[in-house]
Amino acid sequence: MNKIITCENIVKSFGEGDEKHNVLDGVSVEINEGEFVSVMGPSGSGKSTLMYTLSGMDHVDAGSVNFDGKDLSTLNENELADLRRIKMGFIFQQPTLLKNLNLLDNIILPLLNKNREKSPEIKERARTLMKRADITELEERNISQASGGQLQRVGICRALMNNPKIIFGDEPTGALNSKSSNEIMNLLLEIHRSGTTIMLVTHDIKVAAKTERVLFMIDGKIVGEHLAGAYDESRDDLKAREDRLIELLAEMKF
Amino acid sequence: MYYRTIRNDILKNKAISLTTIIFVAAAAMLVSLAAILVVNLTGAIDTLMTRAKTPHFMQMHSGEIDMPNLSAFVAENEYIDEFQVLEFLNIDGVQIDFQENSLADSVQDNGFSIQSEKFDYLLDLNGNIITVSDGELYVPLCYMQDGTTKVGDKVRVSGKNFVVAGFLRDSQMNSLLASSKRFLVSENDYKELKELGSVEYLIEFRLKDLSTLNAFGTAYTTAGLEANGPTITYPLFKTINALSDGMMIAVILLVSILVVAIAFLCIRFTLLAKIEDDYREIGVMKAIGLRVSDIKKIYLSKYAVIAVGGCVLGFLLSFVFRDKLLENIRLFMGESENNSIAFVFGMISVLFVFLTIIFYVNSVLNRFRKISPAEAIRFGVSQEKNTGGKRFYLSNNRLLNTNIFLGIKDVLGRKKLYATTFAVLVILVFIIIVPQNLYNTISSKDFVSYMGIGQCDMRIDIQQTDNISGKTAEISQVLTNDSLISKFVVLTTKTFKVNMDDGSEESIKIELGDHSIFPVKYSAGRAPVTKDEIALSGMNAEALGKKVGDIIKLMIEGKEQALTVCGIYSDVTNGGKTAKAVFTDDSADTMWSIINSELVDKSLIEPTTKQYADRFDFAKVSGIDAYVIQTYGATISSIGKASYAAIAVALVIAILITVLFMKLLVAKDRYSIAVMKAFGFTSYEIKSQYVSRSVFVLLVAIILGTILANTLGAVVAGAVISSFGASSFEFVINPFLSYVIFPLMMVITVLIATIIGTLDVERIKISENIKE
Ligand SMILES: Nc1ncnc2c1ncn2[C@@H]1O[C@H](COP(=O)(O)OP(=O)(O)OP(=O)(O)O)[C@@H](O)[C@H]1O
Ligand SMILES: [Mg+2]
Repeated sequence: MNKIITCENIVKSFGEGDEKHNVLDGVSVEINEGEFVSVMGPSGSGKSTLMYTLSGMDHVDAGSVNFDGKDLSTLNENELADLRRIKMGFIFQQPTLLKNLNLLDNIILPLLNKNREKSPEIKERARTLMKRADITELEERNISQASGGQLQRVGICRALMNNPKIIFGDEPTGALNSKSSNEIMNLLLEIHRSGTTIMLVTHDIKVAAKTERVLFMIDGKIVGEHLAGAYDESRDDLKAREDRLIELLAEMKF
Repeated sequence: MYYRTIRNDILKNKAISLTTIIFVAAAAMLVSLAAILVVNLTGAIDTLMTRAKTPHFMQMHSGEIDMPNLSAFVAENEYIDEFQVLEFLNIDGVQIDFQENSLADSVQDNGFSIQSEKFDYLLDLNGNIITVSDGELYVPLCYMQDGTTKVGDKVRVSGKNFVVAGFLRDSQMNSLLASSKRFLVSENDYKELKELGSVEYLIEFRLKDLSTLNAFGTAYTTAGLEANGPTITYPLFKTINALSDGMMIAVILLVSILVVAIAFLCIRFTLLAKIEDDYREIGVMKAIGLRVSDIKKIYLSKYAVIAVGGCVLGFLLSFVFRDKLLENIRLFMGESENNSIAFVFGMISVLFVFLTIIFYVNSVLNRFRKISPAEAIRFGVSQEKNTGGKRFYLSNNRLLNTNIFLGIKDVLGRKKLYATTFAVLVILVFIIIVPQNLYNTISSKDFVSYMGIGQCDMRIDIQQTDNISGKTAEISQVLTNDSLISKFVVLTTKTFKVNMDDGSEESIKIELGDHSIFPVKYSAGRAPVTKDEIALSGMNAEALGKKVGDIIKLMIEGKEQALTVCGIYSDVTNGGKTAKAVFTDDSADTMWSIINSELVDKSLIEPTTKQYADRFDFAKVSGIDAYVIQTYGATISSIGKASYAAIAVALVIAILITVLFMKLLVAKDRYSIAVMKAFGFTSYEIKSQYVSRSVFVLLVAIILGTILANTLGAVVAGAVISSFGASSFEFVINPFLSYVIFPLMMVITVLIATIIGTLDVERIKISENIKE
């Protein structure tokens, strides 16, 4: 199986002198193409930081990150930006949308940046995605005129616009109620089944239980993983998967 | 109580707090300087005019003087306190030879006098009345200032030797705008010189009560006394003395208004940004029941600290620059007795600046009332209405580069935010263009025609001599035969009586001849063409209460004739009270003549002028250019310098404001920047959004600024120009400079400033800014 991300022994620290501490303390992870991975861990364990370093938004202090065959440390800022624009998609905990653009414009913004001439096709694609996310009617609205769950779906549409190889999600359901959270997860599952690699950071057992592999993180280290296998609604084993996760988390004293 | 928050806040935004303090200080300094200068100037003028005992009413007269008649008038008139007739000995500049320079090219009427006995004293630089010994010469101050001579220099006047013993203050003729200059010599020396020049008389009066001045003026005129020359009164002396320094004060005031505006804009921007940052907290404070006035106090106190700091600094600074600016006033008018009052006035004006700032901050803070606690807590940001950006969707954009589009959309969507910089830029465009246009206008060749001087090449004055008409004819004859002269016109000034509607009589001087050859500019109507038309100078029209179309009754050849006022023009010559007509009246006495002429070859103006001056030594021959340069040259060149200084200042302010604004904006937008970076925008692309924002704002500002400069600016410039005596004028605009070079300079400046101001974009880390 092809690895989309390989990172070895990455170290990332913040602070100076006595204050200095390693937020990532020798993390090695491999993510296969087409995989649906989640990362769990206590607050402050370094999950977000891991995601930022794997996606090239932040530099590592030691170790290496290889994305799709390229060593990220050899790329300059512009090449990293290109990589994010072409191959990655991001979903954040808060819907990180730009205030002065309407929802449709927010979705097409990343893609339009370099492909203005293809504007009609891009718009078409955005509409298709919005339909899939069930937010067709929101097109012309502003941020203040949509609910949190709807905004999060706008964020997902935006992340999907460039047909990315991988989607990073930092607690994409963190700010949502369980109903919205469920809908978002189903959308992500659907995207995953169409071939996109997804890496999620989450606190939510219900969310993690639907992913193929769960990584556990404590104090900047990966302390274990759980291979649950692809989730299939027809098997009706969600409760069992959740219970298994709860067990493991208890073992690790989260 | 707020001490800690204020200190933290000021320290946190060091750059911005400092900039605001600097602008407040500059504003306070300028306003205080203006106040100090006004007080000192008026004080110094008063002191000078009191010590010198400046006449209240003065009639200049050339020709015979009927002393018994005059004395009889004085004896009968109840208004008069003191009376004297001084002599002013006109000596041609060519005859005055300083060690290094001569006054040959001087357009001033240079004349010699002795110290007067009763009043109108000539003072030394300490303000004392000069006593002059034989062989000594006291020279008007302006010749010290322009470096013509210095104390101890040898001077030859018409072959007689003098030594410059010192310089004198002349409460009448100090100003360059007064066209005569008095030199002081001893009585013995004067007697010797008297043969060599022509005498003009200064008939001077001091009144018991200055308020009777108008009544006295009328009495003098109706008595039909000597009146061959301009009449000048005490208020006019005062104005002439105040004019040049007054203009400097006006410029300082104008600049200080601009600086105050910029300080306001700084405050407004930082305040709005702060309110936006604290939006949620303000909402919470309101929610937990704090009153708006309580919340305001927290913010107000910070600006009170900044305002106090700036004002104190500015006030102190004004003392540093005060002496430099007072130098000229001290030199020409001497010390003022108002020094302590000046201090008080300076303080009051600074206090005024302080209160204005507090008042302004307070009014900006009224915005708190509009913050809804519910909305603030829920969204954390103000839900600004996107009024402009509507229908301006990225999805519909096919035309513009995405980043340019986003830049423009941002400006349209957040107009209020950009209004600040926009306003500053408009002001800057204004202060670049208006002084430049003003300079262009007054330095254009055309400009003399706004001042009642026809636009010719050479001007020959024949006055203060006998047989004026014969001599004029003699020169005309030569001009007619001179192939170098393409055209010329003789204008003869004579006095006529006007019968007023109320039955009283006035006398006016009318310049007769063909006024269409070298026309002046008419603020209303046109030049007289037929015999029954007359054009009046602005001052005369006012004095006689006439406007275009009115009838004026003149005594011509002993008969009353009705003339129609056909035009009004502005005039600075001959005291401003002149008239123009084309009729002839050989019975009236000629007071003086001038001959205006145009040369075929402009390069020969100087030699031709000299040739005529040598040939007709009874006439005063001057090139118009030289005339203008000497009369207005200093003012024109200082306005020129000021206009270039204005450009430099404007560009510096443009850089400062743009860098400041961009830094603030980037800091404020860091979240959006991080989001865009996360989705693959490069720093360069994001910066180009900011460049397109500021260039867009600038372009609109340039358009509005230029329009304002050509409308409102023309009014402002008109006020300045009218102080030259010209009442109506048109801007002379250099389109290449105004519409190409200056905008280009602004664009380049703002571009550079934006690039500097947005350097921080590169430093914004996605990981640190994306979490809210
Ligand atoms: N820019 C930074 N400067 C200093 N310390 C930082 C910075 N960013 C993160 N940290 C620290 O690194 C540690 C890990 O942060 P990170 O955001 O990765 O945690 P997390 O696992 O995502 O936590 P959470 O579940 O609360 O989101 C924390 O202790 C945090 O305080
Ligand atoms: Mg996190």
